[in-house]
Amino acid sequence: MQRTIVTLTALAMLSTPSLSVAQAVEDANIKLIEAYETVKVSTIPDGIYLRNVNDPDDIIWQRLPEYRVAMLPAPAVHQSVELRVNYDTEASYLNVTLAKTSDRFYVRLRWVDDTKDTETAFDRFRDGVAVQFSMGDDETSYIMGDGPDSPVNIWYWRSDKGEVQNLAAGSPGSTTILDEQPVSGESQYSDNDGDPNQWTVVMSRPIEADGDHNVSLDRDMVPMAFAVWQGAEKERDGFKRVSDGWILLDMASE
Amino acid sequence: MAVKRQLSMVLDLNKCIGCHTCTSACKLQWTNRNGREYMYWNNVETRPGTGYPKNFHEMGGGFDEDGALRLGKEPSAEDYGIPWEYNYEEALMTGTDPWLRPNVKPTWGANWDEDEGEGDYPNSYYFYLPRLCNHCANPACLAACSRNAIYKRQEDGIVLIDQERCRGYRYCVSACPYKKVYFNEQISKSEKCIFCYPRIEKGLPTACAKQCVGRIRWIGYRDDKDGPIHTLVDKYKVALPLYPEMGTQPNVFYVPPLSPPKIDEAGGATAESRVPLDYLESLFGDGVSAALETITAERAKKAEGGESELMDTLIGYRHAEMFKLS
Repeated sequence: MQRTIVTLTALAMLSTPSLSVAQAVEDANIKLIEAYETVKVSTIPDGIYLRNVNDPDDIIWQRLPEYRVAMLPAPAVHQSVELRVNYDTEASYLNVTLAKTSDRFYVRLRWVDDTKDTETAFDRFRDGVAVQFSMGDDETSYIMGDGPDSPVNIWYWRSDKGEVQNLAAGSPGSTTILDEQPVSGESQYSDNDGDPNQWTVVMSRPIEADGDHNVSLDRDMVPMAFAVWQGAEKERDGFKRVSDGWILLDMASE
Repeated sequence: MAVKRQLSMVLDLNKCIGCHTCTSACKLQWTNRNGREYMYWNNVETRPGTGYPKNFHEMGGGFDEDGALRLGKEPSAEDYGIPWEYNYEEALMTGTDPWLRPNVKPTWGANWDEDEGEGDYPNSYYFYLPRLCNHCANPACLAACSRNAIYKRQEDGIVLIDQERCRGYRYCVSACPYKKVYFNEQISKSEKCIFCYPRIEKGLPTACAKQCVGRIRWIGYRDDKDGPIHTLVDKYKVALPLYPEMGTQPNVFYVPPLSPPKIDEAGGATAESRVPLDYLESLFGDGVSAALETITAERAKKAEGGESELMDTLIGYRHAEMFKLS
């Protein structure tokens, strides 16, 4: 069934000549990851030095496999989201590259966004992206965890401050900024003439991190999920697009 | 939302002279700093008029007839009015700027349409409407918050935003039909009137009420049968909530303004009041007519030298009787 949809989408793209054909063809070569699929985390050999830690434009990213994740409106868990969400919409895609060195874990996220929203003001909302990790296995709810005993760790990049916040949550509405902030990140917005504009964000954290709510990356499998906020659509909180369920990071692969 | 006790306020619009002392008191106490400069937790607007923020009543929010939360919008900076400062130092002290001027071009503000009102002479009219958070019994801001950052205190019903929990989503700003929750851009959190709870806890009235030179405000607990709130709201039913149809059950009540009769073309008085009844009803609901009749009757009684508990209460002889905080 899924294969049929992909084929039809590809046909639709090919039959519609437009400026985005180049983008579509490029994306067609990027593997779409489904929920609960396992993805290998690429290893950057220790001999390779990055220009700086989180450079979204570093040449290393062109050498590592990129994946695509379908993003759809998150299931509303509060009436304030219910009032705003529109489920009658097509999937958008988040491109994901995963890498690690012997002591650091990296995630690079790239997505199309025509509008650069970097302000948090009266009636203005910022763009954002987040990755979420289950502290345990993939039985934990990907919708912000299952209570204080089954929490999630969230790295939230916000465009207004250009920084990553290290958060934890035990359920929707319980997001909390952690005392320890070991995650760093950088972003780049490309205003592409002809092609869609896009954000690229890199976040990283030492593999080893102290603190009760910092996800352990020193294990074979880590469940990860994604969220994107479109500021121009006034998205915030649970009013966002998310990946449908966990993808499973294979941390053990070389 | 049931609380053990509910503090309430009554404001008599017949006595408000639009001096803004309440607003100044509130601003000096709470909102002249730290990203709150644009906020008026208490404001006094001219009615008929656009209100503050501009046309807030058309921005939605509150609850529908079935009690479901309604979508509202967040006002823009321009809807509030962008605060400006003057170059006093340069223009008046150092002389480096020949002109005293504001640092942003003023195009709108909380009282841009002050004293404009409606109608043509001799039937032109306006009155003042001071507004603050209604500390509603069914707060839309609280219902809208997805983080349970807004709570209503059991001991006095004051509605507060937990600044530790707020993450600045602004659902509360759009949900409040009175637009009395404000977004602080400096800290990316929402803030609102706190009913001067640190003063209340010391047995003092709110700053806006204490400083009111027209003595138009009463504060007390709704369940205090000997207190002014019960007398005005429940016993004589002369104090009414603003926009009751929004479904939030406000705990701030207004005594609607009486007005002289309209004048006809021959210069004679008509049976119609200068401030149209239907306009007052659009603000305060169905109870306006009965409230105005009661006040008129009690006022006449007092004028003829008789006794009137209602008039004695509305005159507000002593602060101790106007503010019953225990």
